Amino acid sequence: MRVVLDLFRYNREFAIGVVLLGFVVIFAALSFFSPFPPNDAFVVPPDVPPSWAYPLGTTSRGQDVFWLLTFAIRNTLLFGLAVALISRILSLVIGLVAGYAGGIVDRVLMSLNDTFIVIPLFPILVLFYFVMRDKMSWGLLALAMSCLGWAYDARLIRSVAMSLRTREFTETSIFSGMSMRQILTQEHLPYVMPIVFSTLMNNMNWSIGLEVTLSVLGFTDINTPTIGVMIYWANQHTALVAGIWWWILFPVLLVVIAFVGLFLLAVSMNEHIDPRSRLNRVTG
Amino acid sequence: MTVPVLQVQALRAYYKISSFGLDREVRAVDDVTFHVNANEIYGLAGESSCGKTTLIRTIAAATKPPLRVVGGSIVFNFAGRAVDMQKADDDTVAAVRWKHLSYIMQGSMSVLNPVRRVERSFVDFAFRHVGRRMAEFLDIVSDHLRRLDLSPDILSAYPHQLSGGMRQRVAIALATVCRPEFIIADEPTTALDVIVQNGVLAMIRDVQKELGSSLIFVTHDLAVHANLCHRLGVMYAGRLVEEGGTREMFRAPLHPYTAHLVASLPRIGNTEPKKGLEGTPPNLADPPSGCRFHPRCPLAREVCRAQVPPMVEVAPGRRVACFAVTPPARAA
Repeated sequence: MRVVLDLFRYNREFAIGVVLLGFVVIFAALSFFSPFPPNDAFVVPPDVPPSWAYPLGTTSRGQDVFWLLTFAIRNTLLFGLAVALISRILSLVIGLVAGYAGGIVDRVLMSLNDTFIVIPLFPILVLFYFVMRDKMSWGLLALAMSCLGWAYDARLIRSVAMSLRTREFTETSIFSGMSMRQILTQEHLPYVMPIVFSTLMNNMNWSIGLEVTLSVLGFTDINTPTIGVMIYWANQHTALVAGIWWWILFPVLLVVIAFVGLFLLAVSMNEHIDPRSRLNRVTG
Repeated sequence: MTVPVLQVQALRAYYKISSFGLDREVRAVDDVTFHVNANEIYGLAGESSCGKTTLIRTIAAATKPPLRVVGGSIVFNFAGRAVDMQKADDDTVAAVRWKHLSYIMQGSMSVLNPVRRVERSFVDFAFRHVGRRMAEFLDIVSDHLRRLDLSPDILSAYPHQLSGGMRQRVAIALATVCRPEFIIADEPTTALDVIVQNGVLAMIRDVQKELGSSLIFVTHDLAVHANLCHRLGVMYAGRLVEEGGTREMFRAPLHPYTAHLVASLPRIGNTEPKKGLEGTPPNLADPPSGCRFHPRCPLAREVCRAQVPPMVEVAPGRRVACFAVTPPARAA
């Protein structure tokens, strides 16, 4: 706890990141107090500009932008987190095993890895949508994207694992009779955790960005409100032409805040988690 | 005579590399025979890349490709139980390691995982071999550290918070916490200055005396050998060339290579410039024929080029492989 406080005091990136992300999370948490279910339309008068009654205005479909946005950002954040977590597990397992085992295992895993790196993601995801059509759901998309999003970071982790393999402490672990699984989880995993944390945030950013893009174009389940889906509906109702700017501006603003917050956290976390660089900050 | 704790017989370990259709064989350890008695410190000397590390890696059965044991045998004798490291299955080898046989690695300063606290390293490496409950194990570790003049407080430190000498001592503590009968130390003092080195050496000697274990101590620093070891073996280009009690070896070296090594040591009051040895250590992928030392040997003769000198016992406990000491007629 003291660590977090210290970070907050001394690390400006961390402080700004926490404030921004905290704001977004609180906003998302407000969805639990929403007076309207997310998918109900025409519960308020349509097309009202921001006012005291409707702080962020209302949509052409008669939804309150403020309350709709709380649902949207909640789903978007959860989506990003789910993709990031699943793909982190994949890249950790594959990166560590490939780097440690080497030889034929490494070659097989890395050719798989390179295949995923060169695959064009966007057309695949669009294709995925056309195949799934009505069965398309939020969870399914998260799963598909995490299966596509692990490759870069697996390579990164592999490169670290390869150098760890030749260190004395690895040889000592082998000598003391630890199994490969024990070496990977007890000795190597703590070493790569900083990288994983930093890529976690970056991966969240990546997946949220991609999800917004897909949704805006209508290639996702458009009945679950997310930031992208909100913009999609705004476009469907030609909100900008009709002058309903608040329907587009506020979702975009909120997702940008979330982006910047995550990025700043990624940067500062990276510095902190490694105990060695933590000491550097104290002495230097 | 009692059975030696370690008996190495005609050991040969080669690095076999084949790339682009070309087979190369590096004979890092060739025909090495020696033994280590109980409660003895055996020193292994020789210049860099003469095969010291390869030899002890093989002894610890910590070989991995391309290093391969081509011939010979390594037999340990732990409390009357003989273990042939070459023939034993993996489980037996795993059971022996750390509990009976421990290995202080070269560059042992980095034996500790930099992102784990010292205590975790002890638990990871040694806990399973002690076979006690966790609380008891931690008590044993604290006692052991205290005996080695280390504060048990360091258990909660990260390795980078310790000094080089402390890290080195922790590495030794880690290797000896299970009270092994046999310890292999591969240049444990190379990165330290002489004062810290002295402390570490004293500590190794104390541990050895207390546990009554045997120790193979590898370094190229003859001063350390003179200080620490009971018996000394000198390696040159993958072969053992001379072996004997440390005192006799320094007083009257027989092999010309050993003689040069000993002569190169500075002595108080001696102001003569030291003579260097001509040439460079041979390439082990293509070693000279006959005696591997002959291109650099001042005493080289015809037979040295053609035949490999055998290891001959010239006095009790004193063996040397040189035709200048034991002419071929006598050797045969």
